Amino acid sequence: MDDKVSTLVRVLTNRKLPSGGWSFTGSRQATVEATCLACLALEWEVQATTISAVQFLLHSQLNNGSWPAFHGDSEDSWTTALVLCTLNGTGEFASAREKAFHWLVSERGREGHWFWRWKFKTADRKVRFDPDKYGWPWDSGSASWVIPTAFSIIALKQYAVCNRLEASEKRINLGVEMLLDRVCVAGGWNSGNSVVYGVPLRPHVEATAIALLALQGERRSVVIDKSLEWLKLSAANIDAVSSLAWCILSLFVYQEPVDGLKNRLLTLIGDGRKIHDNATLATAILALKCGEMIHPFVVLR
Amino acid sequence: MKLDRRRFFGSAVGAAATAAVAAKWTWPKHSVSYKRPFASVAVLNANGYSEKLEALLLDGLRLFRLNVAGKSVLLKPNLVEDLPEPVNTNSVLIGAAARCFLRLGAAHVTIGEGPGHQRDTELIVQSASLQHHLADRNIEFVDLNRDELKRVPLKANYSGLHELWLPRAVLASSFIVSMPKIKTHHWAGVTLSLKNMFGIVPGMKYGWPKNLLHWNGIHESILDICATVPIHFVIADGIIAMEGNGPLQGSARKLEKIVLGDDPVAADATCARLMGFDPLQVLHLSQGNRFLGNLHENRITMLGEEATTPLLPFSVLPEFQYLLASGTPPFAARQRSG
Repeated sequence: MDDKVSTLVRVLTNRKLPSGGWSFTGSRQATVEATCLACLALEWEVQATTISAVQFLLHSQLNNGSWPAFHGDSEDSWTTALVLCTLNGTGEFASAREKAFHWLVSERGREGHWFWRWKFKTADRKVRFDPDKYGWPWDSGSASWVIPTAFSIIALKQYAVCNRLEASEKRINLGVEMLLDRVCVAGGWNSGNSVVYGVPLRPHVEATAIALLALQGERRSVVIDKSLEWLKLSAANIDAVSSLAWCILSLFVYQEPVDGLKNRLLTLIGDGRKIHDNATLATAILALKCGEMIHPFVVLR
Repeated sequence: MKLDRRRFFGSAVGAAATAAVAAKWTWPKHSVSYKRPFASVAVLNANGYSEKLEALLLDGLRLFRLNVAGKSVLLKPNLVEDLPEPVNTNSVLIGAAARCFLRLGAAHVTIGEGPGHQRDTELIVQSASLQHHLADRNIEFVDLNRDELKRVPLKANYSGLHELWLPRAVLASSFIVSMPKIKTHHWAGVTLSLKNMFGIVPGMKYGWPKNLLHWNGIHESILDICATVPIHFVIADGIIAMEGNGPLQGSARKLEKIVLGDDPVAADATCARLMGFDPLQVLHLSQGNRFLGNLHENRITMLGEEATTPLLPFSVLPEFQYLLASGTPPFAARQRSG
């Protein structure tokens, strides 16, 4: 497996843009998500590549401490949490990380404002959720959703591992409550709408895997156990690379066996050349390296 | 009746609010118009998704004398979730359309979609069995959620967004074909060719779902997007459509029709009539009639059979009873949607 992973690392390394970042799919526009996942996948082992990627990330940080979604954009986005996870692994870049931390602590979904909470409690009840339990949006000005909330929880938990601050603990706890509130009826998560017009919606693999990563270390509950069971069952039948990779990353931290899934993933991606999406390729490398490196989304609390 | 200061103030505020709501939809907010004097629409009968569709579709497309020679054609299907029929535009129809446009002389055909809920687009493409239709080297699939983006000023201002980042694959296309699944929709009433264009808005910037468009008004956002990226042709999949609590949880409805149109408002209005709805009750259609195309039947030339109202209209959630052709008057619908 090591040789095959090395081949994948080489493919990913060769796709780096001159700017230091990675695009999603072969364009010249570097995106923060693909760059973070590539950085983590290369595990600082391809030094020159990861150093220039980190430089790209540092140059892309906005004045308020957040990151945009891609090069050329100037608006805050959820990718700030992913960058903080990426930089947390280095233990360096304290100033950039601190600014990102403060931005994340202050950022909130639109339900964070009393007026919208009141609206969702009284006039707009089509989607079942508790607006008092809010998390983080994809982009400033929209509501809280599962994946950005999950990454924000992971980033804050990692950042504050040795220095728990009241403000961040409050946001982490609120975010955890939001995830537990938005869980689908049969377990698992989708983008964040569990029941619409009284009808349950189905969960998604990727959202469930990432939400479970955010809930590691939380008290094991029926919600977590049901969702974990759902993810294990789903993983057995998934043939899409990104979703399968996230399954492995999540099941691993819950100490579930992943060797069979890793073998299937390896078969699916071959030598990686047919995986055009760099974020997907990077996530697959991370999944294949599970157990052989420090898990980038592990939380030690 | 004595008009005291409090009552006068309350009346003034009420009148101002009413005027503001009325003005929002009365004054045009678009800087372009794609409306031609007449539109053409064809309703094709098809009782299933089989290999015969390609020949049927090609015959239908030839009725329109389309000039796509040498053009870059973008097919924009409605691929929402990795769920079975009738959630997504059927891949047999998508593949047939791609091959038809190549046979009509298109330089190449791109199938592009940016699903609004499911982040793993590969999962949807696999579930829809779209891969084997991509075997032709002139047909490629682009995940519009992750394509290169360019900032584009909007050519209408109903939503207040003013600009959007849009995918290069969309902006580089010279002929855009919207391929919706004919469905009811629990926020917009219906999801047809105009609503289908939400899928060109990239998740990488706006998230999953594209929540910004909801906060700025679904009908308003539809109008702004379609003013900025005009739809050149419509192929609507109504062979198995969806009624009730669409677009994900509704029930299958065998309509056995494919609707083609060279005008998205005319095509959507025809779809709405086939569903048993009054298109004037759909806000983005009644407003789109001003500048995106023709809604009224006397402006639509039917190439082939007439669009007939079904004996039993599509079922809708209670909130959308007003859509039914014999429902409440348009203004009530506008108030509810606004």
